Amino acid sequence: MKQSELISIAEDWFQSKNWKSFPFQQKTWKGFLDGKHGLLNAPTGSGKTYALWVPIVLQYLKENPKYKTKHTKGLKAIWITPLRALSVEIQQAAQRFADDLGTGLTVGIRTGDTSQSERTKQKRQMPDLLITTPESLMLLLASKGYNKTFETLTAVVVDEWHELLGSKRGVQMELALSRLKTVSPKLRIWGISATIGNLEEAQDVLLGIGSEFRKNSVLIKSAEKKRIEVRSIIPKKMETFPWRGHLGLHLLEEIVPIIKASKTTLIFTNTRGQCEIWFQKILEKHPEFAGEIAMHHGSIGKETRLWVEQAIRNESLTAVVATSSLDLGVDFAPVETIIQIGGPKGIAKFLQRAGRSNHRPGEPSVIYFLPTHALELVEASALKRAVKENVVEDRIPYLLSFDVLIQYLVTLAISNGFFPKEIFPEIKSTFCFHGITEEQWNWCLNFITLGSQSLNAYDEYKKVEVTEEGLFKVQSRQIAMMHRLSIGTIVSDSMMLVKYVSGGFIGTIEEWFVSKMKPGDTFVFAGRTLELVRLRQMVAQVRKSNKRSAKVVSFMGGRLPLSSQMSKILREELQSEADHKRNTPELKALSPIFDRQERESIVPGENEFLIETFKTREGYHTLFYPFEGRFVHEAMSSLLAYRISLLSPITFSLAYNDYGFELLSDQFLDIQNVIDNNLFSSEFLFDDLQKSLNATELARRKFRDIAVISGMVFQGYPNKVVKTKHLQSNSQLLFDVFRDYEPDNLLYLQAYRETFEHQLEEGRLRLALERINSQKIIWKQCEKATPFSFPIITDRLREKLSSEKLADRIKKMTLQLMK
Amino acid sequence: MIQKISIKNNDFTLHPSGAIFWEIKKMLLITDVHLGKVVHFRKHGAPVPANAAYKNLEKLTEVTNHFEPDTVCFLGDLFHSKLNEEWQDFEKWVAYCKAEVILITGNHDVIPRYLYEDIGVKVFDELLLDGFHLTHHPTEIKGTFNFSGHIHPGIRMKGIGRQFLKLPCFYKTENQLILPAFGNFTGKHILTPSETDEIFAIVEGEVICVSKKIKN
Repeated sequence: MKQSELISIAEDWFQSKNWKSFPFQQKTWKGFLDGKHGLLNAPTGSGKTYALWVPIVLQYLKENPKYKTKHTKGLKAIWITPLRALSVEIQQAAQRFADDLGTGLTVGIRTGDTSQSERTKQKRQMPDLLITTPESLMLLLASKGYNKTFETLTAVVVDEWHELLGSKRGVQMELALSRLKTVSPKLRIWGISATIGNLEEAQDVLLGIGSEFRKNSVLIKSAEKKRIEVRSIIPKKMETFPWRGHLGLHLLEEIVPIIKASKTTLIFTNTRGQCEIWFQKILEKHPEFAGEIAMHHGSIGKETRLWVEQAIRNESLTAVVATSSLDLGVDFAPVETIIQIGGPKGIAKFLQRAGRSNHRPGEPSVIYFLPTHALELVEASALKRAVKENVVEDRIPYLLSFDVLIQYLVTLAISNGFFPKEIFPEIKSTFCFHGITEEQWNWCLNFITLGSQSLNAYDEYKKVEVTEEGLFKVQSRQIAMMHRLSIGTIVSDSMMLVKYVSGGFIGTIEEWFVSKMKPGDTFVFAGRTLELVRLRQMVAQVRKSNKRSAKVVSFMGGRLPLSSQMSKILREELQSEADHKRNTPELKALSPIFDRQERESIVPGENEFLIETFKTREGYHTLFYPFEGRFVHEAMSSLLAYRISLLSPITFSLAYNDYGFELLSDQFLDIQNVIDNNLFSSEFLFDDLQKSLNATELARRKFRDIAVISGMVFQGYPNKVVKTKHLQSNSQLLFDVFRDYEPDNLLYLQAYRETFEHQLEEGRLRLALERINSQKIIWKQCEKATPFSFPIITDRLREKLSSEKLADRIKKMTLQLMK
Repeated sequence: MIQKISIKNNDFTLHPSGAIFWEIKKMLLITDVHLGKVVHFRKHGAPVPANAAYKNLEKLTEVTNHFEPDTVCFLGDLFHSKLNEEWQDFEKWVAYCKAEVILITGNHDVIPRYLYEDIGVKVFDELLLDGFHLTHHPTEIKGTFNFSGHIHPGIRMKGIGRQFLKLPCFYKTENQLILPAFGNFTGKHILTPSETDEIFAIVEGEVICVSKKIKN
């Protein structure tokens, strides 16, 4: 069949559904049928599934003209999705097209939720299209004879590539693709990405830098653009609106009319804890919503989540309080309105959420922004401008993630085994590892076979063994099983299942939260008040309680920093404020706060850098305001604290938020001294950062994930009571041992590299310092805390830095006593 | 800097390695060395640096050379696991060590008694010496003072400007002293002291009494 004939089959099908194909779909069909690889830039719900599934089917028709009578068996395509929840929708769409054309092609799903019997069935006979996650794809590479399974593969489609790109799951995907390129000779690779700042780089990462695949590839952009309208919820009485906080409950009443006016409203919060609290409070204040509102976040049981998703589609819910668990995925048609609570910190995330509302043709999507504290109104004002000016963030890919590489090598070693000289060129062709040296490669091989770099005479280290032919292979069944259980790059805190005593699964919560409770204590989770009855292994057994409990389940992490694009716009908004152009409704509303800030201190203008000092009973506070986002402030605060501490022995406790940072000390700090010594210099930046205590502490935290991903720490068998206690070590202990005995370990060093590149954002920090150096420093010695300083000095998450001798510090400290 | 204390008219020296020297008995008390742990982990595919294993024995040698004791008494968890190659090194160390070596068994000590006895190490479940009770698990018997291990005690210090610090420590109550873990591949368990407890923290090669800093 000719290409034009094939395409007309698809067009006819579109017509039969009363649809019209978009130009980007036609371009993708043509590109695919021409044998090209590529990246498709199209938003969710725009018909991207058919952009790629159609040509996969057409290609099959082309190669199998007798498709109506004879079905050629074997896997044809793999569809990678980052979220299991999306797989069902994709399956339905794909199956519909395959059936209507009478192709006999089957569509199957394989994720963590797939039953064992289904997996076994798939192993015997793969479906034609397999929808799966990066982790499950890796597990397929971990089973014997995977090369046979993938031999017939004609396409891999990586959906939501932008979501995977900036994470180690992206690296995992790069490695899997590098193998498939060899074992699947007819392979085409396609990615689908939402709009990000670095689309071309995303294409490089997907296809491998400078490879044949990259050379023979196209970037297709859909022209369709959604119009978005941002409306801020502005407090009626600014005087009583809080200066700090992150919940935003003060404005709860304001959203009630919005919910009532619209068919279905999605209310997005930034953390799971916040989600629980909002759900609880809405019901408490407005019991009339009972049964009409629901909650959706990643820790709630899957059944409940699916039920909520279905209920949204059925229009049986008025509102759903959600976290990023509803960010992705297929459009929910009945959703008319979106409310964002608290700053989303990034433009892309905000747009994604705004896009979740379905809109009538020609009308814009509407998203309401509800600030949780006064200064967040500036963020609202900045977001509006970002939307207007089409600013989007980049997703930064990981480089040289040795932990993921080591996991991958062991994966290959437990299935078919591998020969290094075959695999090395594949690894080197990926974007992540294109800079890997021969020494680093050998290091990794030594690591998985010897557990170190020096051959020890009587060492019993066991993991991967080398056969006489030079094949790297895992022989121990126990090691293979432990490895299969550990495949993946998402490391979470130890989770506990929450179940009713009578059975019935509610969800999962982090172990540390449960560990602080005694039986009989009550807490709020999944919208219910529960009483802890007992702990059984990793299960918290609970019963419903009628007591009122203020203790809402909380989760670690979840605080995202302001992106650099957002920071820049935010600064500009504030500076326009300094020039007294209160030209947006948000800035106008903030007038009383700005006036007070001006009375106590100043609002810095474009060429000004503000430093405030004042004393409270906590000690001497020094506040700096670069407005660069919390990660950069984290780095800058420790850098500055370190440099100041070189002048004379001093100890600081550091705090930061997205707007600025604080150095708190028990000694007075002379800012003139800081200015005279040129401490904001960007010279010796890397060196000084490394020496600041903070870098070690941050690296220690990064090391936790690295230790788990590379298989140094085994997290145990899921839901099983197997005693692995004698093998449990924590990554903290390992980190110390590496620091003391093996400081050149690549994984140990990687923790530092990740800290600098991804956590401290060294590149951004350098630019920020250069900007400060070109600004005029204004030192205000204030009487008391200013509106700008208030959210920072009350922050309880703190770091410390000291140049005093430890023993001297101890002498000043007190012991934590039993209460 | 070391710290000297007196209990029931006996003098004891608290050493920054985590060991205690009983002056009159010339006995060195050491707990929770967890020998063999590094090799045990490596055997199961966790690549802990192999040379971390040697450091424990080096540290043991240093501290015995320093005090020249008549007896070295381990208060349990000397070996983390079953017999492995670290045993041979330990055997050499026992042969080298001039003092008599005693082991009070702990929950991790699964290596059979006779193997210790073969290399000249005496093994007890507990010891009662001049009103001092030596055990692995903290144990209270009226009229005796108890030295023990097992807990791996640590404490959390708080300073102005919201500073925090966690340190290993000797943890002394009225009739009991818990020693910090001696081994380098061991964690610590943070305790919250009451007002009458005496705490001696280990900080950069010094033993410092921190409990006098308690505010009332």
